[in-house]
Amino acid sequence: MRTRLGTTALACAALLVAGCNGTSVTDDSAGGGEGQDGKGEITGKLQLTFWGGANRAAKTNAVADMFVKEHAGVTIDRQNADFGNYFNKLNIQASSKTLPCVMQLQGRQLNDYTKRKVLLPLDPMIESGAIKIDDIPKEVVDTGRGPDGKLYFLPYGAAYDAVGVNETLATQAGVGLPPDNYTWAQYTDWMTRASAKLPKGTFAAGSRGGLPNFFIAYQLANGKQLFTEDGKLGFTKESLVEYWTMWEKLRKAGTSMGADAQADEPEGAEQGFIAQGRLLTDSIPGNALTPASGTLATKGGGQKLTTLPMPSGPSGGGNAMFTSGFAIPTNCDNVPTAAAFIDFFTNDPEAGALFKSDNGAATNQKVLQAQLDDPELPELKKRELALYQQIVAKKPPTILYPPGYQATFESTFTRSYEEIAFGKKTVEQAAESFFTEANAGLGG
Amino acid sequence: MTTVSITARPLLGRRRTRNPLVIGLVRHAVLIAVLLVMLYPVVWMVAASFRPTAEVMNSLGLLSRNYTLDNYRNGWSAGQLDFSRYFLNSIAITALSIAGNLFACSLTAYAFARLEFPLKRVLFGLLLGTMLLPYHVTLVPQYILFNELAWMNTYLPLVVPKWLGAEAFFIFLMVQFIRTLPRELDDAARIDGCGHWRTFSRIVIPLSLPAIGTTALFTFINSWNDFLGPLLYLNRPELWTVSLGLNSFLDVTGESAYGSLFAMSTLALAPIVGFFLVAQKLLIEGVATTGLK
Repeated sequence: MRTRLGTTALACAALLVAGCNGTSVTDDSAGGGEGQDGKGEITGKLQLTFWGGANRAAKTNAVADMFVKEHAGVTIDRQNADFGNYFNKLNIQASSKTLPCVMQLQGRQLNDYTKRKVLLPLDPMIESGAIKIDDIPKEVVDTGRGPDGKLYFLPYGAAYDAVGVNETLATQAGVGLPPDNYTWAQYTDWMTRASAKLPKGTFAAGSRGGLPNFFIAYQLANGKQLFTEDGKLGFTKESLVEYWTMWEKLRKAGTSMGADAQADEPEGAEQGFIAQGRLLTDSIPGNALTPASGTLATKGGGQKLTTLPMPSGPSGGGNAMFTSGFAIPTNCDNVPTAAAFIDFFTNDPEAGALFKSDNGAATNQKVLQAQLDDPELPELKKRELALYQQIVAKKPPTILYPPGYQATFESTFTRSYEEIAFGKKTVEQAAESFFTEANAGLGG
Repeated sequence: MTTVSITARPLLGRRRTRNPLVIGLVRHAVLIAVLLVMLYPVVWMVAASFRPTAEVMNSLGLLSRNYTLDNYRNGWSAGQLDFSRYFLNSIAITALSIAGNLFACSLTAYAFARLEFPLKRVLFGLLLGTMLLPYHVTLVPQYILFNELAWMNTYLPLVVPKWLGAEAFFIFLMVQFIRTLPRELDDAARIDGCGHWRTFSRIVIPLSLPAIGTTALFTFINSWNDFLGPLLYLNRPELWTVSLGLNSFLDVTGESAYGSLFAMSTLALAPIVGFFLVAQKLLIEGVATTGLK
């Protein structure tokens, strides 16, 4: 017995040592001083990583090939995976200090990385002229900044969330589209009016109180701050209660779908309920218009989908921009080439023409205009880009997402609302526990 | 006809039918119902893979008026290379992994089951302990290690550990199996002049076929389905495995090709089903005799 105990203890101790070693992320911001302004010889190996499926990979590769052609001596090693897996891999690369020199990020995750000091600021490269931002609206560039005000990724594509409306159902129900600059009150009222006249099995809206981007739009329209300087929740519990109560009213009246049905919604723009013709309206990513319309067109009678800006409020439009762009990590040993590639990908007209705003509208205004002027641009894609132009013209506010946003805020928000919709908690209780949980995981 | 079983089950106090036909019917009805529930998603996927792209996601039913092979045609040639390459890569990795696991695990298991050496218990305890460590705990150190060895973009990180007996579960499985073999056989072999190598190769291995079959099958399934390993270590499309190829059909931030995804998933399942059918007898024997649940 004693030997067995001893054996177990020894084995456990050895495992603890094995398990705890090497997984800690150290906080030193390495990175040699050379080439930090992005000036230098553009040559050698470059690693590029981005998220997306085969279609986007083909377009990105075409741009990378063009860059290689223009710069003799450069080779680009590419990696891609779909969104979720991309970040799984990126996190492992970050903790082992092997991040690829050109890596793709969004504002939503940016500060998970800036907090751990694994990214190089791009400002010196902009000052030296290695990266140009002249043709990108200031509001858009600012979405790539960290809490210290430095630019950590250069947004090349700007996505926005829109309100998708099934035009066919709206016409059938006799309510038409919501008016220009419609408010949240007008939006919910419009849903309620349509609800009675919708065909069986379709709802005016999904059970969407748990959708983070919808809530962000609500807060922005009402002029509320989302996060404080130190990365905690910046809005009041009351405003959250008010928002969730609005959704609960819709759900209880049968205007929106039940929570159990909503929980069955498949992922992806092509399969969402609005694409299947089961909803009159829903919040969808702006670039989901094309794929969702594709599915909807196969439904009885060929239904049509359109997108509108988010509802407005006292502070104007509720749209925020979700930009994607490339960053350079501190462990990069080929900064000049990385900077040149980022500049090329974002600003080169021919590169833009190849990539065709595949991941959000091109942020470079000239590149975007060239695409809009292209007579071969499909009508739906034109709508996606035109709506982006409308939104950016209103100078949307920049949201600084705190570290832990994607991991904590988004999942907790969705779960908290589900607890209400499934009748486990009252709106007040859920708001209370959401505040505690989110504040514990955010910032720091 | 029913009988009251008084002597056999006095505690139950219920009438039980003994009619084998009724019992058989009920048992089969339940089994078939469960089977249908479990198989339906797979059958649905296979059916969906034959529907035109626009109809793939349309219904929970199986039937369509327009069946097509387009998904297979498009899916096979999709991506930066085609699936014949991905299948070849997967087959190569899987074959090397199976060979490695059988080699390393059977040798190690023989040592733990039959040899006496210092610290045997501690080492065996450690081996079992490694099964308690979740994969994710060792992921980052492993990644750093393989990166330092310059093994990125090679199959080495996926295959070499198998040849070094890194899969404790299979070693444990074989140790348990070899322990059930009568030692008298070893003794008889020794009297006939066999050393350890001959005892191992002539006596233990032929008798351990069920455990070997189980190990081979599970290694096959694990390597064939492995996604995270190839995702981390194989960047270049010409090295991609089937699972990475399938992933490239998906894009939640853009457009996904579900028709092709289902078509290729169906093809990717075929080897597993085939291997299972071939190794079924060994597997069931292995499960029954090693106490694997």
